[in-house]
Amino acid sequence: MAQVIVNGIVSAALIAPPAVAFSMLFGILRFPNFAIGGYITVGVFAAYAMNVPLALPFWVAALGATLAGAVIVWISDQIIFRPMRTSAPVTLLVVSIALTFVLEHSVRLIFGPDVKGFNLPLERPITLGQIHITRSQIHLIGTALFIIVFTHLLLTRTRTGRAMRAMADNPELAEVRGIRSTLIRVVATLYCGALLGLSGVSAGFDLAIEPLLGWSLTIPIIAAAILGGIGSVYGAMLGAVLVGLAEEFSTLILPSSYKIAVGFGIIAMLLLLRPQGLLGQPEIKK
Amino acid sequence: MDFSTSRRRILTGSAIAALGSTLSPRLLYANDAISIGSLTPNTGGGAPYGGNMAAAIRRTVDQINASGGVLNRQIKLTQEDGETNPETATRAADKLINVNQVIAILGTWASSVTLGIMPKCQSANIIQMCTSSSDDIPIRDTKGLCFNFQILNPVWGRALGKMAIDRGFKQFKLMALNNDFTRSILTGFEEAIGPGRLLEKPFYYNANQASYKAEVSRLLEGNPDAVFIPAYVTDFTSVYKDIYRAGYKGQVITVTFAASEPFKKAVGAAADGILHGFPIPPLDSPAYKQYLQEAGLQDNGQIQHPYGTACRDQISVLALAIEKAGTTEAEAVKRAIYDVSTGPGKKVVYNVLDGLKALRAGEKINYSGAGSAVEFDQNRQLIGRDIQLYQIRNGRDEIIATLKVR
Repeated sequence: MAQVIVNGIVSAALIAPPAVAFSMLFGILRFPNFAIGGYITVGVFAAYAMNVPLALPFWVAALGATLAGAVIVWISDQIIFRPMRTSAPVTLLVVSIALTFVLEHSVRLIFGPDVKGFNLPLERPITLGQIHITRSQIHLIGTALFIIVFTHLLLTRTRTGRAMRAMADNPELAEVRGIRSTLIRVVATLYCGALLGLSGVSAGFDLAIEPLLGWSLTIPIIAAAILGGIGSVYGAMLGAVLVGLAEEFSTLILPSSYKIAVGFGIIAMLLLLRPQGLLGQPEIKK
Repeated sequence: MDFSTSRRRILTGSAIAALGSTLSPRLLYANDAISIGSLTPNTGGGAPYGGNMAAAIRRTVDQINASGGVLNRQIKLTQEDGETNPETATRAADKLINVNQVIAILGTWASSVTLGIMPKCQSANIIQMCTSSSDDIPIRDTKGLCFNFQILNPVWGRALGKMAIDRGFKQFKLMALNNDFTRSILTGFEEAIGPGRLLEKPFYYNANQASYKAEVSRLLEGNPDAVFIPAYVTDFTSVYKDIYRAGYKGQVITVTFAASEPFKKAVGAAADGILHGFPIPPLDSPAYKQYLQEAGLQDNGQIQHPYGTACRDQISVLALAIEKAGTTEAEAVKRAIYDVSTGPGKKVVYNVLDGLKALRAGEKINYSGAGSAVEFDQNRQLIGRDIQLYQIRNGRDEIIATLKVR
């Protein structure tokens, strides 16, 4: 049981940062951007390219992936989504799914379809009674916590963060109050892109690096964001922990082959029972 | 020139138009090239092999066409990517059958793909050639049109199970990727080791999960001597990372293409010690050596292009069978496949061009291939293939046992 909880927390550490990014992007850009899987794939392959073919240290590769994520999300927004800003959210959603395919197939074209790994030796675990955890997994959890705290401070203690929240709450009112919406959108896309690029590094460390890696994470990430309350950063974090634990605990009572349905199940239940999620605010339409 | 209409002209024109509309595109193709399709796994789980498979078919078709074709007709090859995905493959098969009017579809690899396109092939009388090994294949092939260039999984699984017992392991746990291929190989392994050695009933996981930790925790519970995990390379890489990080010191056993070169590169020295097994091409066969030359490879004593070799055999056997049958009609071709590949007392040929020459000289032939001896039983399955067991040591595969399966 204790090991299941540890496994759930490691999984949560993997999906919490991209769930936060997904939620923030939704708040600022006002549509669910399903291209997160593609952005994560770009991040992990940027890190791989720097760490293995270019033989740069892992921390440099992680930094490079963070930058690559920021740049690709910003460029995608400028080239694809900005000209479509007035389109319906569902149109943008479909376009974002298409963008994921473009990104993943571009990665496949450049790097090939084979699985890859970072230039990091696999570690044996530290054993505490019945619990096994590796130092790298502890770093993974630490990185996720740092990102959450940093994002909290960014949103609550800086003018830019407050402007982002204002934009997420009511973009028209925020503009009337003098917030430079274009600049805030740029900052938000760069920041979320950086989180997604870094999430790619975590995913590549935990799973096999391959062009479809992003798809494996997309459903749990979106489930976490919806569970927590889409648009709520803290909700996304809470949602990630609950989805991570739910997936791990589900294998105790369900055959493992049904585990992948847990994310879908959570989305379906939430949409029926509490569409605004655990920490989200219900949207009032006049 | 008189362009005036008359009743006779209108009637003649209508008759020609009516006749034309009743001729199926297949008949219209008859005097033209012979249309053959390939549906290899260029992307997805089979991607490490798909490129070699497609290239082997293309090379052999080019050889045949350069030497004058089959039945004095050129082969028109249409190649599609099945993406190791039955849904995509079914759409591609639809296109090959209805648009390209192929007489055969070669190169399917995943059992789910071979079985997925089978109903369409059966209803259109299309010959299938595959390297899939689900034991459902001969059962669902009710028209006898699907020739398998791989041994069936239970045979493969039993061989690996026997070799595991020979190495002295007493307690096992088994977990597999949830698909036709891995389920049936696991069944064979389970039969070979018997229920007394199993600590828990085997269980399955899905591909593309965000985490495999819960499954790995369950697999390692009770600390079995050995665990057997038939899988594809992508999911096996993720699963093995978690096995290693959980501190397991027992024996991990899998199938060779899960522990392939990309896997070894991805996990580095942690791969050492894994046992894996695989049906292998006949490394001493002239056909295998010819294949290496054709593909521009050096003979390094290791297995290269295990599925590319089988695809060379597929297109070669099909071309020889068409030549032997004197027609592209499915019933005649499927009978001729046995004539040119199976049975003693015939001239053994190792490539399609020698085979075509011998057939035209009136000789009986037995094609012996680069991937196997290509001898079929009455269910269109390979009679046998050697299976080799390897252990990864210092990042390389070392052969530790060979089992002849007949």
